[in-house]
Amino acid sequence: MKKFNGVFVLPLLVIAGCSSDAALTSTGSQVVPVPLAVAPAFLTPPPAPAAVAVTPAPPAPDKDSQPQSGYGFDQWQKGPLGDVFFAFDSSALSDKAQELLAKNAAWFGRNPSKSARVEGHCDSRGTSEYNIALGERRSTGVKEYLVRLGVASTRLETVSFGEERPFDSGKNSEAMANNRRAHFIVK
Amino acid sequence: MQLTRHIIAAIFVFCCFFVTPMHLVAAPEEEYIIISKTGSDSIALALNQLDVKGVGSGKVANSLDVIIRDALDFPGLFTILSSQVTVEEKSGINFSALGSIQAEVYARGAVASTAGNVTLDMKVYSVGTAKLLFSKTYVGKENKLRTIGHAFCADLVEHLTGSRSVFGSKIVFVSNSTGFKEIYQCDFDGKNVEQLTNSRSISLTPALSPDGKYLAYTDYSTGRPVLYIRNLLNGKTASSGKSGISIDPAWRNGRELATTLSFEGDQEIYLLKIDGSIYRRLTKSRGIDLSPTFSPDGNKMAYVSERNGQPQIFIQELLSDEARRVTFNGDYNTQPSWSPAGDKIAYTTCENSGEFNIFTVGADGTGLRQLTAQSGQNESPSWSPDGEMVVFTSNRDGKKRLYTMSSTGKSQRALFRMNGEQAQPFWSLFRK
Repeated sequence: MKKFNGVFVLPLLVIAGCSSDAALTSTGSQVVPVPLAVAPAFLTPPPAPAAVAVTPAPPAPDKDSQPQSGYGFDQWQKGPLGDVFFAFDSSALSDKAQELLAKNAAWFGRNPSKSARVEGHCDSRGTSEYNIALGERRSTGVKEYLVRLGVASTRLETVSFGEERPFDSGKNSEAMANNRRAHFIVK
Repeated sequence: MQLTRHIIAAIFVFCCFFVTPMHLVAAPEEEYIIISKTGSDSIALALNQLDVKGVGSGKVANSLDVIIRDALDFPGLFTILSSQVTVEEKSGINFSALGSIQAEVYARGAVASTAGNVTLDMKVYSVGTAKLLFSKTYVGKENKLRTIGHAFCADLVEHLTGSRSVFGSKIVFVSNSTGFKEIYQCDFDGKNVEQLTNSRSISLTPALSPDGKYLAYTDYSTGRPVLYIRNLLNGKTASSGKSGISIDPAWRNGRELATTLSFEGDQEIYLLKIDGSIYRRLTKSRGIDLSPTFSPDGNKMAYVSERNGQPQIFIQELLSDEARRVTFNGDYNTQPSWSPAGDKIAYTTCENSGEFNIFTVGADGTGLRQLTAQSGQNESPSWSPDGEMVVFTSNRDGKKRLYTMSSTGKSQRALFRMNGEQAQPFWSLFRK
């Protein structure tokens, strides 16, 4: 299999991350692979602010060790790989989920020695047997998407927990949404 | 006067019994009596207090009395008349007195207990014909009084209805009372709760084989959901040994069970042998196929399929592999359970309100009936071996617990009290 090179994809990811939803088109719930051939544009860290010039400048901040926020990151996922979220009774990857998975794919490109586990989780609304099957579709769907972005399948392990290991113990719709996720654990 | 005895008669409500020709063919030497009167859906049973034979038998007789009354009350088959009349007289049984309180069946018995050995002599009469229906002696140890009492109850119900009873059957279920989800079993009436697994991970979806010898369940001990088939006699355990998931088993008979496996990529239902090896793949549709349950003859399988985008229940002929959809109400129908008589399928619907409720539908897709409503989330129906009751889970009192109800949704009540939450009950056909 063709090895993934994170350097070439990174610029697109930054652009994708900053752009609005409208800037990216997608065909409904279909899985759309992100194009890989994008020219490298900027890898230079931003210039250090003048105020810190008194002491030696710190090393360039490691993007992967900084706390992250926004879609994919919350109290149960602080990085480096963000989680993706699903609609009720669905394993389809939304536009936001696809954007985040592209970032995760880039991380795999920068960290060729790392592998990860993808856990499929569901909210407590569905019936529990069905949710194990649904959780498996969520985790394997995420894995397949990453493999299409060039991550070697041997670096991704999947498991479904259905509704058995909820993150958010609440009962409201926000808690339900928090629990419908594919959760990444770096190994 | 010494022959005079007060009886406490009792009225039970029960659902209509039909003695089908099949029962008569199965046991042509047996005489079955249809008890329910026209316009009535109950058997009125007069149950005399047990006679005590010999010094020291009184305590045992009292215990057996309670056991038999509680057990006969459980399935909701009978109705107890609350008035007291004099039944036993010098001249014999006063059937007209029994008739005056609308009793249809009269049962009396005697208990003797010597050195831990108990003998229960029971006689059952038809009030209308003033005839003895059956007479039987039950013998056992004093520490097995429930077994002795329930053996009589089973005979009584089978005599009156020609159907298998619940007495002696087991219910397996999941509970998290230790902090981990483990498999437990209890008697049909919720007594004698016993923990069967101690994996300290997540154990789910238990199913007992029809002969009661094997327990199939899914367990996360290895970090992923794996099906195990455990011989309950010697503890030997087999597994499916496939990658992906292997969940939600159902027995087709004492030698074969079906489960969902995903090692070929899609989630399909396979028939396995007791050693976990694959016998045959049963489904071939894209998407989730899950939760098999078999018709009593094993020739048809009902299951959940997501082939149309949402989970619905289908029935497939095992010979032809032809499948047809049987549920059309709602967008989310799961957890089918095929009735022991073969005529109905109980299942769980997610209603538009978001409430989960239990319905039954004929195996031909007609006769939809709602069994639970506006009482929290109700899930996981499983039929009693006589087909008269359904065990299910409900969180109507906050925590998820096991409940029973009649096959039409009447007499809904909690099965027992236990720490933690209980889920996924499965009522076994097995009887001691």
